[in-house]
Amino acid sequence: MSELVEVLRYREVLWNLVRRNLKVRYKNSVLGFAWSLLNPLLQIGVWWFLFKVILPGRGEANFMAILVTGFLPWLFFSQTILDSTACVSQEMAIIKKAYFPRTVLPISVLLSNLIHLGFAFIVLLVLFAIWRVDVNAHYLLVIPATVLLALFAYGLSAMLAAWSAFYADVKFIVSNLLGVWFFLVPVLYPLYVALGADRPAGNWLETLIHHALPVIKQLYMLDPVTVAIVAYRSALLHGGANPVVHSESPWLADQYPLWPYVVGAAVISVAVAIIGQMIYQRKADLFAEQG
Amino acid sequence: MSAIEVRDVWKRYRRPHQQVSSLKEAVFSFLRGQSGYEEFWALKDISFSVEAGEAIGLVGPNGSGKSTLLGLMARVLKPTQGSIGVEGRVCPLLELGTGFHLELTGRENVFLNASLLGLTNRETARRYPDIVDFAELGDVMDAPVKTYSTGMVIRLGFSVAVHLDPDVLLIDEVLGVGDEHFQHKSFGRLMDFKREGRTIFVVSHNLEAVRKICDRAIWLDRGRMVKDTDSEEVVTKYRAAVAAWERSLEETRAGDARPG
Ligand SMILES: Nc1ncnc2c1ncn2[C@@H]1O[C@H](COP(=O)(O)OP(=O)(O)OP(=O)(O)O)[C@@H](O)[C@H]1O
Ligand SMILES: [Mg+2]
Repeated sequence: MSELVEVLRYREVLWNLVRRNLKVRYKNSVLGFAWSLLNPLLQIGVWWFLFKVILPGRGEANFMAILVTGFLPWLFFSQTILDSTACVSQEMAIIKKAYFPRTVLPISVLLSNLIHLGFAFIVLLVLFAIWRVDVNAHYLLVIPATVLLALFAYGLSAMLAAWSAFYADVKFIVSNLLGVWFFLVPVLYPLYVALGADRPAGNWLETLIHHALPVIKQLYMLDPVTVAIVAYRSALLHGGANPVVHSESPWLADQYPLWPYVVGAAVISVAVAIIGQMIYQRKADLFAEQG
Repeated sequence: MSAIEVRDVWKRYRRPHQQVSSLKEAVFSFLRGQSGYEEFWALKDISFSVEAGEAIGLVGPNGSGKSTLLGLMARVLKPTQGSIGVEGRVCPLLELGTGFHLELTGRENVFLNASLLGLTNRETARRYPDIVDFAELGDVMDAPVKTYSTGMVIRLGFSVAVHLDPDVLLIDEVLGVGDEHFQHKSFGRLMDFKREGRTIFVVSHNLEAVRKICDRAIWLDRGRMVKDTDSEEVVTKYRAAVAAWERSLEETRAGDARPG
């Protein structure tokens, strides 16, 4: 807690770091912003090609809008985590230069990525305007979903930032795990594909899976990233006069009771944030002695 | 009221046996039951206090703990034991080139650094012309620092530090890097600081500079304080000790060379 007060005293440093991060990503104004969108757009282009051209007939009229909506929180989450694994080694120059509350570093990563998310959101709204979806009050649900996701991302970031200062391979492990994690959250598939999965009992392995599935599903729903993605979809895709998807769409989670999971994910997010911060603060005293 | 109070300070570094920088190595050395570390006391039982306005030199051979002591006073490092109190705004100018991001421009670095030392961007903007002026780097401030020469980096770092209105200035081994002209200029600036009653702590192997700038000097050897009195005496004794040591080296070598 006192560390957070200290961070506030050093908000000018925080702000300078955030501005620096943004400048690096949006180098040279307009073109830079376009570049920063290139990677996600490319990704989405590949999906478009995959789902619309190679495997057509997946129904849904506004399929791209659905994909992009779920992709947004994932992009924020994965980029925050990835950036955090570099933030300590990147700032070694100033770490060795002077005292400042080291917590400034992961917080600057989080803030920069929240601002990126804001920009991406604006782009999304422009796309929605083109697709003639109207803005409505449901959108506000995005705010608590983002807070929850940001807490979770921060806790993991702080932990990973601390460890990556001492072990160079944390960065590679994380980028690989993120590649796997992407398929463990419902970005490319609706929630029911995961929750509706069922395997009949058979030989020992099938029986094992049969009995394990309910537990796996519960664990799956405890992932704050999953909950955030589902919440984003519920917030952005229906409601208003011209919703992206009709309300019985399998892409919405309405057929599943979401609130218990929101509570579960919130508890986990807060716990991870606190534990991450504790780990970070314990390690931070030794940063300046590294390399 | 002293400006700096260092009491019973010990500093331990843990040096990895081999460079344990990957998880795999860490796991293996853990499984082998090794701690993986060798403990090394870089500072042993250091105590002194400094009055506001004193100029103090810190001398001693390489690896004796001078930079470590400065890092502790700058709060970049934490003491393993003991306590350190420093009053007022501290401006550290620690070892060569630290504090600057090579990829950022000189201007961006000035603002980032100044904010680290407690200035708001607005205050920095007000002092910016003076900082650039003093460093005489007006035409390269928008180029990345990686394109600067060593001396240019030091000029900028020094200029930022002295324009931040520091109460305590910590300088590690940067005096000798500027050219003749800049050395005169920075020397003059340090003298001004002394007159203004600011506290200066200088680490240098340039004993002449220490003698001229500092009233008092501390001599460190292998982490212990050997002497802490007026700079004239410390410099003389330190020189004598080095000379004696070199003579003894010379004699053993001569002894080895003798046949038989
Ligand atoms: N980060 C570190 N990890 C482990 N050991 C360190 C670290 N930094 C310094 N040391 C050790 O501590 C001792 C003191 O180092 P320090 O840099 O304080 O010496 P110094 O007096 O400044 O030397 P020099 O005159 O060469 O600048 C040295 O033996 C060094 O090897
Ligand atoms: Mg040194």
